[in-house]
Amino acid sequence: MTNTEALKELIYKMADDQLILGHRNSEWTGFGPLLEEDIAFSSMAQDKVGQSYALYQILNDLGEGDPDTVAFMRNADQFHNSQLVELPNGEYDFSLVRHFLFDTAEAIRFQMLTNCSHEPLAQLANKIKGELRYHTMHADIWIKQLGRATEESVSKLQDSLDRLIPYAIGVFEPSPMEDQIIEDKIFEGEGKLRQQWEEAILVVKSKTPLNLPYFSLVKPV
Amino acid sequence: MESLDPRVNRLNLSTTELTSKAPLDQLGTYEVFSQLKEDKPYFHVGPVHAPNCEMAFLFAKEQFSRRQTCTGLFVVETRNIKVSVFTEGEDTVYNYISNPGELANGNTESFELFHLKKRGKQHEYIGTIEASSAEVALSMVKSEFINDKPVYNIWIIKTSDIESSQDEDKIIWDTLPDKKFRDAIAYKAADKIKEFKERQ
Repeated sequence: MTNTEALKELIYKMADDQLILGHRNSEWTGFGPLLEEDIAFSSMAQDKVGQSYALYQILNDLGEGDPDTVAFMRNADQFHNSQLVELPNGEYDFSLVRHFLFDTAEAIRFQMLTNCSHEPLAQLANKIKGELRYHTMHADIWIKQLGRATEESVSKLQDSLDRLIPYAIGVFEPSPMEDQIIEDKIFEGEGKLRQQWEEAILVVKSKTPLNLPYFSLVKPV
Repeated sequence: MESLDPRVNRLNLSTTELTSKAPLDQLGTYEVFSQLKEDKPYFHVGPVHAPNCEMAFLFAKEQFSRRQTCTGLFVVETRNIKVSVFTEGEDTVYNYISNPGELANGNTESFELFHLKKRGKQHEYIGTIEASSAEVALSMVKSEFINDKPVYNIWIIKTSDIESSQDEDKIIWDTLPDKKFRDAIAYKAADKIKEFKERQ
C-alpha cells in the first residue's frame, strides 16, 4: 500500500518546479539570442508547463484540487518548488546554465520514475521520455558550444555555473517522508538522483574547459 | 564612426582608404529535411541559421517538426547541396543532362538524390547513388529514376555531408501528435464567431 501523503509531496515538488521554471523560461519568448533558439527554448518552456499540468492532474486524481486552481490560485508559501527555478532571469547564459543543471536532473528523475509503484506516474514518465531527451540534448550541445567558443562565452558560463551550482544541489532536498517514498518504491530517492546527476554533469563538463566545484563541499541553497 | 542605429554599425563602414570587405556578422545556413512517417520519403522543409551541423539539428527539430508527426530529420549545410538547372511545363531537367564522360574510376561515394516534381513544392527524396562525383551521379540517375512526369529541378547531396537523427533519439517526437494546441484548427473559433454573429 502506497503512502499517499508521501507520493503527493513528491509530485507537488516536481510539478511546482516545472511550472515555475516553465514560466521563467517562457519570459525569453521574443527575446531569444536568435530566432531559432527563441522558438526552441519557448517550446521547451511549454513542455514544462504541460508536464506540470499532467502532474497536477495526477494529484487531482489523488484528491487534490483542480489543476488550474492548484497552479494559479495558491499563495506563495503553499508552493513546494526549489529556489533554483524561481530565480529571476538574468542574461541568456544564466538561463542556459539553469536549463542544463535542472533538466539533466529532471531527465534522470523521470527515468527513475518509469519504475514508480504509482502506475499513473510511471506512465507519465514513459510518455515524456522523448521530450526530456530533446531538452538534455539541447542543453548539452549548447554548453559544449559556448563552453569552448570564446573567452567571453566561457567566462559567462563559468560565472553562472558558480552561482547556480549551490541552488541546483538544493533541488535534491530530501522530502520529510523520504524513507517512506523509497520504501514504497515510489522513487529511489534524492540521494541516488543527485549521485547520477553529478556524473551526468561531469560528462558534459569534461568536453569544455569549465570548472566545477567538488560537489560534496557545496552548501545547497 | 559609431552610430546609434545598430543596423548602420553592422555595415562595418570603412574608416580608412582601402580595406577588405568585412563578412556579415551572421551564421551560415543549413537545409532541413523531414520524414512524416516511417514509410514516407524525406522532403525539404526549409533552412535554419546555425554555427555547425549539431546546432542546426537542434534548431531544426523545433523549427520544422513542431506540428503533425515526424519520424526522422536531417540537416545539411546549404552550400553542400548541388543544384541542377530549372525547367518548366513539360520540359524535364533530364533533357539537359549530358551522359557521363567517365563512369567507373575506382573511388566512389554515396550521393542522395532529390526531385522537384512541382514548381512551388519541395524537393523530395528519390534514391541513393554510388558515384565518383555529384556530376557523375547526376548523369547516372537518368535511366534509373526517370518516369513520364517531368522533373523541374534536382538536388544532389553527398551522404557524408548529412547530419541525421539517430534511431535511439526518435522518441523526441513521441508526444508530437498530442500538441494540437500548436494548430489553429484546435481552437474552435468558428462556433464562437457564429454565435457572435447570431447575437448581432
